[in-house]
Amino acid sequence: MENFSEVLQLFLSIDNFIAIALGVVIGVTVGSIPGLTATMAVALALPFTFSMQPVAAILLLVGIYKGGMYGGSITAILIRTPGSPASACTLLDGYPMAQQGNAKKALKTALFSSVIADFISNIALIFFAAYLAKIALNFGAPEFFWLICFSLTIIISLASGSMVKGLLAALMGILLSLVGLDSVFGSQRLTFGNYNLMDSISFIPLLIGLFAIPEILEFYRKKIVPHIKAKASGAGMTLAELKRSLKSIIRGSLIGVLIGAIPGTGATAAAFISYSDARRRSPNKANFGKGEVEGVAAAEAGNNGVAGATLIPLLSLGIPGDVITAIILGAFMVHGLTPGPIMFQENLSLIYALFLGIMFSSLILLVVGNAAIKYFSLIADIPKSILFPIVLMFCVYGAYAVNNSTFDIWLMLVFGLVGYLFNRSGIPAAPFLIGFILGPMFEDNLRRSLLISHGDLSVFVRGPITWFFIALTFGSIAYALFKFFQERRAAGKDRQLES
Amino acid sequence: MSFSGPNVVKKIKDSLDFITGVILLVISLVLALYLVPNYIGEPPILQNPMMSPKWLPNIVSWLMFAFSILLILQGVLVHQDGENDERKLVKGPLRRFIIMLVAVLIYILFFESLGAIVTGILATVLLFLAHPVRTWWAYGFAIAFPVGVTLLFVNVMNVPLPLMPL
Repeated sequence: MENFSEVLQLFLSIDNFIAIALGVVIGVTVGSIPGLTATMAVALALPFTFSMQPVAAILLLVGIYKGGMYGGSITAILIRTPGSPASACTLLDGYPMAQQGNAKKALKTALFSSVIADFISNIALIFFAAYLAKIALNFGAPEFFWLICFSLTIIISLASGSMVKGLLAALMGILLSLVGLDSVFGSQRLTFGNYNLMDSISFIPLLIGLFAIPEILEFYRKKIVPHIKAKASGAGMTLAELKRSLKSIIRGSLIGVLIGAIPGTGATAAAFISYSDARRRSPNKANFGKGEVEGVAAAEAGNNGVAGATLIPLLSLGIPGDVITAIILGAFMVHGLTPGPIMFQENLSLIYALFLGIMFSSLILLVVGNAAIKYFSLIADIPKSILFPIVLMFCVYGAYAVNNSTFDIWLMLVFGLVGYLFNRSGIPAAPFLIGFILGPMFEDNLRRSLLISHGDLSVFVRGPITWFFIALTFGSIAYALFKFFQERRAAGKDRQLES
Repeated sequence: MSFSGPNVVKKIKDSLDFITGVILLVISLVLALYLVPNYIGEPPILQNPMMSPKWLPNIVSWLMFAFSILLILQGVLVHQDGENDERKLVKGPLRRFIIMLVAVLIYILFFESLGAIVTGILATVLLFLAHPVRTWWAYGFAIAFPVGVTLLFVNVMNVPLPLMPL
């Protein structure tokens, strides 16, 4: 009871409500502008949270994340340009609906499915995070070592594109995370005598550089694309249509939860699996791809079902499941908090205050999403030629604010260039960031394991939990290899057919 | 037996992967053979070599080396889809890009001496001109935003930024 009043005290602050509302508004706005991503918005918002209370800071970022997930579907439906990769599935039926004059219906369907899926995902988060954290209390350094190994390998094996490039990106991230003073011996590692690097590479300039600057560089490097204007017209979603789609929404939400809880899988996979499942089961399967309400509902449910669930491994194990949760992990660290099982013991009130805020964000999403449909044309019609100079300004101010040093602006630009080169060479940035975050944890748990065992390597296979994670690690590597050879075989067959 | 350059290039199925692999191979070798041995300090006595500050950077560098070779092989052997290749960029005029770089340099070189507001206005106006933005009233944003955002950072969020010229 004492805890409950503490939770309420932490949650019932006007700052938290403003943070959630502002976060969702920013997320929907940014998500609905093609070229601006929720990841970019979360990265740019991070410096603003320095002076905020931890709960308000995290809720602001979670609000942006959730708003961005829905916002991405607006442009997918109206102008056939998904605001985020996960919304690519929504356009399959959303855009045909808009062309048939049912844009408003498609947008409302996307909104209601997103809110329902988000709510289900939040419930899953509340139930499973605490349960998983309780199990994780039994973990020691060797168990965490293998858990991190598994997280790294699964992120690489499930990442889109080449597995080799994913591995290289993760290795580069790990290597970069080791720059600075060694945590055990205090010796300098690759600092080249520069005192700015002694406290390791700043997370925020790296983040902004990697996820915002490449978009700006590409915008000024590539050919100008004409600005498309769009309007949300037609009737809204009827109750009968909602009832008809409800099964697909619930199934899609559960698929999203399941996929979101596994590190590295992401919303795009969930949206497509949910869509395929709905098409397989629907009596209107022939209408899928031609403007089917159920298709939009399933895709959005899968997409948004992931949002709450990705926080499960983050909060309970301290392992980020994707790029946005990696940034949120950074926000926890900025405020002196380390997510994981210990946080469930030491900061339980804070976690439950966060849960309340996350639940509340679903309601805010409904209100803001409705308004976004109405005022969308105002948001999306802002030309990028005006937006990107302002985004660059936010990048510079945000990077400088970390240590009040122009060195961080340089650092941000260097990582911006790295991100740009990654995009041009097809190297994924997500494994790089996850490697950067998990690198020090990997080394720390490796060393602690060796210390407690006095150098005896058998500590790494000491019991069923380590065996379980070893099996998962090698299983994910085997899956990645299987996927690679399967894709090559399919590509070979396609080429044979073409010739 | 003859060797001709263009034929070798033709045999490479994805030149971008090949070049990326070669660059990363060179970086990994520089890391493993020069930077890690010379720029990472090690305590004189170590109970276990795996505890050394050099151990993980060394392993990671050699793993990078191994995977760079795999990427080179991938470039030589594996064909990528031409049309759906997201790596391709339809380039626009170089002038815009250069003006953008000048705006970035303004931020880097003058941020502390001129302050966030003045550099923000200068860089934003320059970027508007680079595109170019032809709506004259939009240039009002180039002044309003740097002023507004700086004051937001400094006064509302308590994040210190250099305000005015030194």
